[in-house]
Amino acid sequence: MARQLPPLEELIACHECDLLMHRPRIGEEQKACCPRCGYEMVTHRAHMRQRSLALVLTALLLFVPANFLPIMSLNLLGQSTVDTVWSGVLGLYDSGMEGVAVVVFLCSMAIPLAKLLCQLFVLLAMPRPLLRPLGCHCYRIYHHLREWGMLEVYLFGILVSTVKLADMAELHLGVGLACFVGLMLAQVWLEVIMSPHQVWEALSEEGDDART
Amino acid sequence: MRALDAGIIVCGDCHKLEYLREGEVQHCSRCGARLHARRPGSIARTWALLVTAAILYIPANLLPIMTVSFLGQGAPSTIMGGVVELIHAGMLPIALVVFVASILVPTFKLVGIALLLYSVQRHQPMSARQRILMYRFIEWIGRWSMLDIFVIAILVALVNFGNLASISANLGAAAFASVVILTMLAAVTFDPRLIWDNTFVDEEEEEEGEAVAEAD
Repeated sequence: MARQLPPLEELIACHECDLLMHRPRIGEEQKACCPRCGYEMVTHRAHMRQRSLALVLTALLLFVPANFLPIMSLNLLGQSTVDTVWSGVLGLYDSGMEGVAVVVFLCSMAIPLAKLLCQLFVLLAMPRPLLRPLGCHCYRIYHHLREWGMLEVYLFGILVSTVKLADMAELHLGVGLACFVGLMLAQVWLEVIMSPHQVWEALSEEGDDART
Repeated sequence: MRALDAGIIVCGDCHKLEYLREGEVQHCSRCGARLHARRPGSIARTWALLVTAAILYIPANLLPIMTVSFLGQGAPSTIMGGVVELIHAGMLPIALVVFVASILVPTFKLVGIALLLYSVQRHQPMSARQRILMYRFIEWIGRWSMLDIFVIAILVALVNFGNLASISANLGAAAFASVVILTMLAAVTFDPRLIWDNTFVDEEEEEEGEAVAEAD
């Protein structure tokens, strides 16, 4: 190595192309992108913790009504059926497609909930040194679960089903749908606000004290 | 310069930098994740997942994904059948969405990941920037193929009027869900840094430059 490298704290490497750079200094609401591959490496959000906490709590409050209140109901010759996210899972399970039912349950209910709980715990652990190691663990779990929660895809599924059923029978939209849309928006917004590098930095401040 | 050339490895979970110590199992000092210079066995694992997905892709398209029964008469329909039905019903935009999500995207993913793997193994002079864009697109689009599965879940729950009308899911749906999950796993195991590892370094890019800060 011809040149002496600056200390590791002043360096940053792009996680997608491994380019090594000086850590840029960025202000609030600014982001830094990798000059080679364009990957967004660092984003700095103002009041990240308070805003994220508000969104996590909103999402958690909406979670139960979104999954258990009727999304829509169908009326055919006087008979009516009601659809909730949970009844969709049960319906698949009863028709002998256990594997698919489990996948739908995981992607539309279990993983989104687990993600939100992880995020809530991480946000609560940030100012408490004792909880930080566990917070780190939760945040790692969150990163591995991230793309397996598919609320926005489910919403599109609802849209496609309404179009398919609209001319077959009488269709009514329910309260559950509004809650579901709210839950999805809160969750997507939360993903934008909760900037990973800020979370990791908050979790590692005086991290050594916390571990001893 | 690559971080690896400077003897530095990046934590895959929290992106902290750490010096590489030869012949040692290293864990991240911040989050405790096992550290690897590159995702281990990336190419072999991705190929394995991809080939499995490609095999399941055949039953996913040939077997019916659901059966619509009306007054005791059952009509099984495949993925393509569903799209054709939507076109006949005059709902072109939705037909297009379903076609893109359940036919175009899975095919593109299978071909795309295979191309990425091939280019990395054969040192293809394909532009790295194009490949990284393709990788990001594949990674992002993967989950949208679950659309059809969710539609089936909703229809099965909703159209449940006993003998009058009912919809049930079929084996094609299970095969299709497996294809989606396997291709998503393949995108996760593929290490995008491999794309850059064997590309010629351009002079303008090799200097360790200050990262570009942009206003958000």
